[in-house]
Amino acid sequence: MSERAPTLVLDRASVAYGDVPVLEELDGVVHEGEAVALIGPNGAGKSTLIKALLGLVPVVRGRIEVLGRPPAQARRDVAYVPQADTLDPDFPVSVEQVVMMGRYRRIGWLRRPSAADRAEVTEALERVGLAARARDRFGMLSGGQRQRVLLARAIAAKPRMLLLDEPFNGVDAVSQHALLEAIGSLKAQGASVVVSTHDLAIAHLACDEVCLLNRHQFGFGPTGDVLTPERLRATYGGHALELCGDRVIVTHT
Amino acid sequence: MILFEPFHLPFMARALVELVLLGVLAGTVGVLVLLRRLAFVSDTLTHTVFPGVVIGHLMAGDGGIFWGALAAGVVTAVLLTLLTHRRRVSEDAALAMLLTTLFAVGVVVVSRQTGFTSDLTAFLFGRVLTVTEAQLAQTAVVTVLVVALVVALRRPLLLRAFDPEGARAAGVRVGLLDLVLNVAVALVVVAAVKAVGTILVIALLIVPAAAARGLSDRLAVIVPLACLIGAGAGWLGLVVSYEASVGYGIRLASGATVVLVLVAMYGLALAAGFARRKAGLVRARRTAPESALESAA
Repeated sequence: MSERAPTLVLDRASVAYGDVPVLEELDGVVHEGEAVALIGPNGAGKSTLIKALLGLVPVVRGRIEVLGRPPAQARRDVAYVPQADTLDPDFPVSVEQVVMMGRYRRIGWLRRPSAADRAEVTEALERVGLAARARDRFGMLSGGQRQRVLLARAIAAKPRMLLLDEPFNGVDAVSQHALLEAIGSLKAQGASVVVSTHDLAIAHLACDEVCLLNRHQFGFGPTGDVLTPERLRATYGGHALELCGDRVIVTHT
Repeated sequence: MILFEPFHLPFMARALVELVLLGVLAGTVGVLVLLRRLAFVSDTLTHTVFPGVVIGHLMAGDGGIFWGALAAGVVTAVLLTLLTHRRRVSEDAALAMLLTTLFAVGVVVVSRQTGFTSDLTAFLFGRVLTVTEAQLAQTAVVTVLVVALVVALRRPLLLRAFDPEGARAAGVRVGLLDLVLNVAVALVVVAAVKAVGTILVIALLIVPAAAARGLSDRLAVIVPLACLIGAGAGWLGLVVSYEASVGYGIRLASGATVVLVLVAMYGLALAAGFARRKAGLVRARRTAPESALESAA
């Protein structure tokens, strides 16, 4: 693993909105083909870290490097997947139009999408198992299916790094499986994946590394080493943890 | 035929061309306003253009209206963009304050004029039948410019309206794009001032877009349909007001008649959209077993 090139470097990085520090002293490295789960309670700064990786929130101390560049200069090779339920379900766009948005950077402003662009859209939809719904209106799909469409949009952009903000929230089992499969195949092709989630089981399933966050970093490293009851208790503060065998359940987040 | 006959008169023909142009202009921009849920922001713009109209008229007569409106429109578009990008003040309250303040400035200035009520009526509700060829040319230039701008920026505009975070992440300069849209709305108001006045223009922006949205889920259909509905209502409204006045001796204000025709069309579109969704539900129920299978799997 270690001969692979680093794609994300956090070096004593602090991130702030104006004067308000949100995350402090983050350290860690992610390599090509690896996935890292951002885990922490609500308000821990997971979404803020994702925005910092996109160069939308400034790094005030230390350094963040994405694909060897400052975050804002790496956007061309980074794809972001928002939470599906933050988008207006009444918006008049079809599933394939949403996925085509992932190609906009390559198409430019005026040119019509080429046959190659259309093929990429179809292939991306096939990878999330929704090719048959291409012509349906986006809002007609279930929450989980919409999340898969947004992942397909990211896939169509051919990113070297994928950032997903809580993609598994309120997603049914079929869609969860499809999302995990698609993320796995992107990793196999060498893309790095950063995914924020509440779900520790998913972190175990999908990610090689975990970053425990709550304003500060409470651990960064291989999933099995970091997801320990002690560290989780420290990350989640006073919130109760229940242990069932080797599984940890956070009861209040 | 009654639908064409009135337009043999040159002033009626000019009014028709003006309203068709405005229909296309407001239809195109209106769909974006609807998608971005900017109806109130647009309404604010229609009111803040008003003092510009009044001051322009004061300084240079009828010819000054366009330039006064343009100056006020661009300045308030910038102000509005800044205001809506800082969320410290409640946006609604700030907009309402801006709207009434500038509107009051306009009324105060116009009330110092002789012939105050007649001027006020013209500024607020327009006089489409007195549109000159020079004003037609202004409207045509604004229409071509704004429609070309929207076509050129359609992809970033669509992405920004659908998914603002995604747009920022993709490197779209959202603040600049919002300014462009606000200026486009201001330009619609500026172009429409002479014909329908500052108050009724909001109907031209919102109603055709809302009606077209009720009839289709596809943007490629919604935009041309909104243009068609706007232009069609302009035509029909002129015919109705002409017939009422010439045939029956009832004087109807043309601008307001156009708006009422628009609202009637919206009612029809609403009914058609309801029927369409009903039919869609029946179709969905027929294909339901398939999706039930998928969620069970």
